Amino acid sequence: MAQEASSSTSSKTISLKTGDGEIFEIEASAAKQMKTVQRLIDDLGDDITIPLHNVFSKELPKIIEYYKKDITGEITKDFEAEFVKDLNDDEVKVLFLAANYLDANKLFEFLSQNIADRLESKSVEYVRKYFGVENDFTPEEESKLREERAWSFRGIKEDE
Amino acid sequence: MMDTKNTQPYLPHELIIQILLRLPVKSLLRFKCVCKLWFSLISDTHFANSHFQLTAATHTHRIMFVSYSDPLQTRFIDFEASLHQDTASVSLNLNFMPSESHSYIEIKGSCRGFIFLYSYSNIYLWNPSTGLHKQIPLSPIDSKLDAVYFCYLYGFGYDQSRDDYLVVLMSYDTTLANVSSHLEVFSLRDNKWKEIEGINLPYMNASDDPRTGSFFNGAIHWLAYGVDLSVNLIVAFDLMERKLLEMSLPDDFYYELSFCELWVFGDFLSLCVMGDDTVEIWVMKEYKVHSSWTKTLVLPTQYFSPLCLTKSGDIVGADGGNGLVKYDDKGQLLEHRSYCNVRGRSQAIMYTESLLSPPCFLSEPKKMTQTRRKRSTRRRMKL
Repeated sequence: MAQEASSSTSSKTISLKTGDGEIFEIEASAAKQMKTVQRLIDDLGDDITIPLHNVFSKELPKIIEYYKKDITGEITKDFEAEFVKDLNDDEVKVLFLAANYLDANKLFEFLSQNIADRLESKSVEYVRKYFGVENDFTPEEESKLREERAWSFRGIKEDE
Repeated sequence: MMDTKNTQPYLPHELIIQILLRLPVKSLLRFKCVCKLWFSLISDTHFANSHFQLTAATHTHRIMFVSYSDPLQTRFIDFEASLHQDTASVSLNLNFMPSESHSYIEIKGSCRGFIFLYSYSNIYLWNPSTGLHKQIPLSPIDSKLDAVYFCYLYGFGYDQSRDDYLVVLMSYDTTLANVSSHLEVFSLRDNKWKEIEGINLPYMNASDDPRTGSFFNGAIHWLAYGVDLSVNLIVAFDLMERKLLEMSLPDDFYYELSFCELWVFGDFLSLCVMGDDTVEIWVMKEYKVHSSWTKTLVLPTQYFSPLCLTKSGDIVGADGGNGLVKYDDKGQLLEHRSYCNVRGRSQAIMYTESLLSPPCFLSEPKKMTQTRRKRSTRRRMKL
């Protein structure tokens, strides 16, 4: 039975199904912050379980946790620091991709900055591996480039 | 669980850019070496502009401290950290200048990541982070070889309305009895000098040495002497309007301007005055409002040349020797460090790290046809 949604949507929950088949509940007001989810709700209705093919059971709970805090206005610097504290660089990357897919702007911006902060003192090799980028400079070209901007390499551990 | 090496999530290019835009300049310059695509992306003007705007709240500022030696040695100091943190002294890479200039430069200003400097008879705008530079021709007055003119005000700033950088000079003919200054402006975008004509500029130098301006609120400010009213004042050149305006100094201000300096103290225009035993910091709490001049700080020292403010409100400046000092917002001395033992003038200026390069910046040394003229001693009217 299609019941009219109450004017205060804060009590309504939406069901989300991850790419690996697990279902999670999220409050409708939190779902609003993820534009992709909201678009699916608009298309499919809010009584149906919304399928999220590109988000998995490892990331979604974490994202839900973030937006739960967001709707109560409790996101602080301390919360954000705690939020990413135990995540390694690859886990943050996966979360970042998920935030992008979900069009969850606030989380996306926060994670972009967090990844930038993690990469700030990393070596060129680390960054290549992290992004899966191939080095297409010749050894001569690369050593010339490094020499020209030697000061930017100071204090950087090469094999990190 | 399988080894994730082959299932590494792949970030599409537009997402990588979002991350790169949030990195500091030093990291980005290093990451130019990652691959050719990243090299051209990070070198791109639009990227540099977006980056500068997006990171406005977190720009890295440094002090460039140049020690008198041959060749010139410089340090790029992170003044947010302790002054005693080790900063290597490196040879100033001025390969774009003729070799005799490598031991003599005069820093005349800095704005948005560029430093404006003179070396003998050449003017340069230089981004110390990227090494990009542009040589600017001498102004029509500056290139006169008869040494009759004395240039006493130098300024460098940014005109937001045109995304243009301007160099400003004020000079006067020392042989004339009636002093009227000439105001010349170089626009980087127009790539030419223009004299602001048709206005009476009854100003003169307020001290023996030429002054460099303070860029604040879209205008360049200097201390000068107003000949008409026989009074010391602040003269400011608004870069958008291309107009001069005057501001008065605090009431009962009888200090000799040779011992005073204008500087930008956070969000305020400020006057730093070296008295007999102490240094006073005056602040114009409301811009252009004369009555808002307030003495806010007294430093327990005889000499202090202010350079910048840290994020926590500490004041950093030159100590008149070869070092820097840091005071807290109550005027208590926090730190003092000497950088070299060589006697001689050192120069220091704060600059912002940026990837910016205005139109027509060169990275290759240009073949130069500069006049190899030594700066002759100029006769100046003493007050």
